[in-house]
Amino acid sequence: MHRSPARWIGALALAAMAAGAACSKGAPARAAAVGRGAAPEALRGTELDPSWPKPDFTLTDTEGRPFDFRTRTDGFVTLLFFGYTHCPDVCPVHMANIAAVLADLDYADRARIRVVFVTTDPERDTPERLRAWLDRFDPSFVGLRGSEEAVNAVQAELHLPAPVRQPARPGPLPGAYAVGHAAQVIVFTADGRARVVYPFGTRQSDWAHDLPRLVAR
Amino acid sequence: MQWWCSAQGLAWSWTWRPYLGVWVMVGILVAAYVRATRRSGGVPPGRVASFAAGMGCLWLALDWPVGALAAGYLASVHMVQFLLVALVAPPLLLHSIPAPVWEGLAGRGRLVRALEPATRPLVATVVFNAIVWLTHWPRFVDALMGSQAGSFLIDMLWILAGVVFWWPVVAPVPARPRFGYPLKVAYLIFATVANTSVFIYLTFTHLPVYATYELAPPIPWISAREDQQVAGLLMKMGGGVVLWTAIGVQFVRWYQAEQE
Repeated sequence: MHRSPARWIGALALAAMAAGAACSKGAPARAAAVGRGAAPEALRGTELDPSWPKPDFTLTDTEGRPFDFRTRTDGFVTLLFFGYTHCPDVCPVHMANIAAVLADLDYADRARIRVVFVTTDPERDTPERLRAWLDRFDPSFVGLRGSEEAVNAVQAELHLPAPVRQPARPGPLPGAYAVGHAAQVIVFTADGRARVVYPFGTRQSDWAHDLPRLVAR
Repeated sequence: MQWWCSAQGLAWSWTWRPYLGVWVMVGILVAAYVRATRRSGGVPPGRVASFAAGMGCLWLALDWPVGALAAGYLASVHMVQFLLVALVAPPLLLHSIPAPVWEGLAGRGRLVRALEPATRPLVATVVFNAIVWLTHWPRFVDALMGSQAGSFLIDMLWILAGVVFWWPVVAPVPARPRFGYPLKVAYLIFATVANTSVFIYLTFTHLPVYATYELAPPIPWISAREDQQVAGLLMKMGGGVVLWTAIGVQFVRWYQAEQE
């Protein structure tokens, strides 16, 4: 006995819809729970033992005003990173991942976190360029500039190597160069101690796991 | 020089790069087709066009820039590559083989005999979906995409999956008279449903699942999360377009067969 194509279409369409509905019930929940009340379990970043004191330095923000790091970040969980806006990989990935996770945090947690980006390439990172670059990720990120000596001194205090200017790969921009720099984000807890570092390779799931716990400490 | 596209961790550049392995593979397939069809004495233009389109899809998907973007920068382009390699190119290539060549393959082809168990529709469905799920599993992808051999393995698995999946629908050998048009249509509709789990996983998982793409030098116009969502949607919608087109073709043939 032959069945017509039309009858087959009807039967198969019903079967497909039933199967689709069954599958959609299994949609996974959000991969990471972010928010307050996180348990004080181990962090995914590398914990510093002993912790380091918060360095005392003043650099210039993107509005041209002095920014006293210790005073202005007092009481906040502070993420400090040294990089430059022409960086092709590490800097934009760190900033994008942190910004994406911060956007998911509840307001109370988010309000207790500061992100401070210090340029290691003040020659090219004008205040305007630095501000525009950070705004791509999160307008609340603080951008700081200073002389090479001043920035190097801060990095030395934090046990970070001094940035190194390197010739860039051949390209269309004459005089272009890259800046080799430390790739880790240093996190200070609200008590003013550097307690955790996050190397390049830290993922959004790691930040989503750790940031609420750092705020809760 | 790289012989196959893989994740390199270098900033994306629109500077052309050669991938010798892709050219060698394309050259081998073209030479094999020419040799096989010469022996059979002439190929209808439609079959030649089908072969050219299938090879074009493979080449486009595996060579620069699609191959390079897919290997190390964007999950969405990786999904486009999957669609081209596993869903578009194989039916075109299988269709391009003329009947006399199929008959020759059926009689003495070792490849056909080796593939025969896997081309049974039920087995083909299992093999295809197992490969699709495996090659979209984040740990598998992240472990392999950083090396040329690993990236090559994923691409070859996709080609294998595509050939096995489309064989019962397109290839005339081995003859399966009981696997008629209604069952072919059902087989293809099941495939539209089977990829739903990967689609849901990629589209609705909130955080990026692939370290390869999350930590890749960024492409300015899209974030890692958006990229992953686009990849999931492409799998469902792009795969749906291909499969429903094939379903439509089967219905037309079924109707024509009924008329005859």
